[in-house]
Amino acid sequence: MSALQSTLTSAGGEGFQVTPKLVDFNLRLVFTGNGDMHATPVVNEYLKLVHEEALRIGLSQVSCDFKQLTFMNSSCFKSFVVWIDTVKNSEIRYQIAFLTNPNLPWQRRSLEALRRLAANLVTIETIA
Amino acid sequence: MTDLDDAPALVSLTLSFRPQATQIGPLRTLLSDLCKPHVADADGLSRLLLAAHELLENIVKYSVGEVAEFHLRLEAKASGLQVRLRTKNRAAPERMADARWRLDALAAATDPVAHYDELIRESAGRRDISGLGLARIPAESEMDLYYVTEQDWLILTAEGNASERVSG
Repeated sequence: MSALQSTLTSAGGEGFQVTPKLVDFNLRLVFTGNGDMHATPVVNEYLKLVHEEALRIGLSQVSCDFKQLTFMNSSCFKSFVVWIDTVKNSEIRYQIAFLTNPNLPWQRRSLEALRRLAANLVTIETIA
Repeated sequence: MTDLDDAPALVSLTLSFRPQATQIGPLRTLLSDLCKPHVADADGLSRLLLAAHELLENIVKYSVGEVAEFHLRLEAKASGLQVRLRTKNRAAPERMADARWRLDALAAATDPVAHYDELIRESAGRRDISGLGLARIPAESEMDLYYVTEQDWLILTAEGNASERVSG
C-alpha cells in the first residue's frame, strides 16, 4: 500500500472508463474502451480533477495507460491539450507519460502531436 | 471528378440517414469489417477509420435537417488502395461560415501537420469547442480534405492512399 492517498475514483460507464492507480508519487490512469462523444465530458472533467490532485499530493508523474483505449476522438484529444497546457503553465509541474499499444497505430500518431505541444513534459512509451 | 470512378470498387457504401451519436460506433465497426479484408496493414486501416470517425462526428454535431449522407469508396489502383470518404449535410449559416473558414485555412496550409500543431496551440487555452476534428484528418490520416457547398449543403470529401492492398 502506498502511504499517499488519492481521492480520485473510477469514472465513465459502459463503453468507456478511466481508473486511477496511485503508486508512490506516480499516478497511473488506465483508460479503456472508446473515447467518443459520450466520453468527452468524462475526460474533460476527470483531467481537471487529476490536475488538482497532482498539485495536492505533489505528484512527480501521471501516466496515461492507453493499452485498452480503442479510439479517441478530437474532442477527447482536445481535453488532453487543455490539460497539458494547464500543467505547462503551472508553477508546479509534473511529467505526463502516455503508454501506448503498438497494435493501435492511431495512438502514436495522435500522441506525437501532444508531445510536440510540450516536449519537456510529455513522453510516449510503448507497452507490450 | 477523379479517375477513382472508373475502376470497380472493393467497397462502396452509401448511407442516407438521420445522424445520431449512438450510430457512430456501429458504423465504424461496419466500415472496419468491410475494409479490413482488403487493407494489408493496421496503420492504413487505422487512418481510414480515424477520418471516417471525425467526418461522421462532424455531421452528427453540426448537421441541421433530418437527412445527411455518408459515402465510402475503396478501390485498388496501381499506386495502392485509394479511399474516398464523403459527407453531405445541411448546415446552419454560422456553422457553414466557420467550416469554410477552417477548410480554407487548411487548404492554404502548405504543411498539414504544422497547421494542425498551430491549431492545437491556439486551442489550448480555450475550453469551448474542439475545432480540431477536420484538421486532424489530413494531419493524421494523410488524406486530402476539401469541400464544396450547394446552397446550405456542406459536402466534405477526404481522399488518399489507404495502404498496400492485401495480396491475392
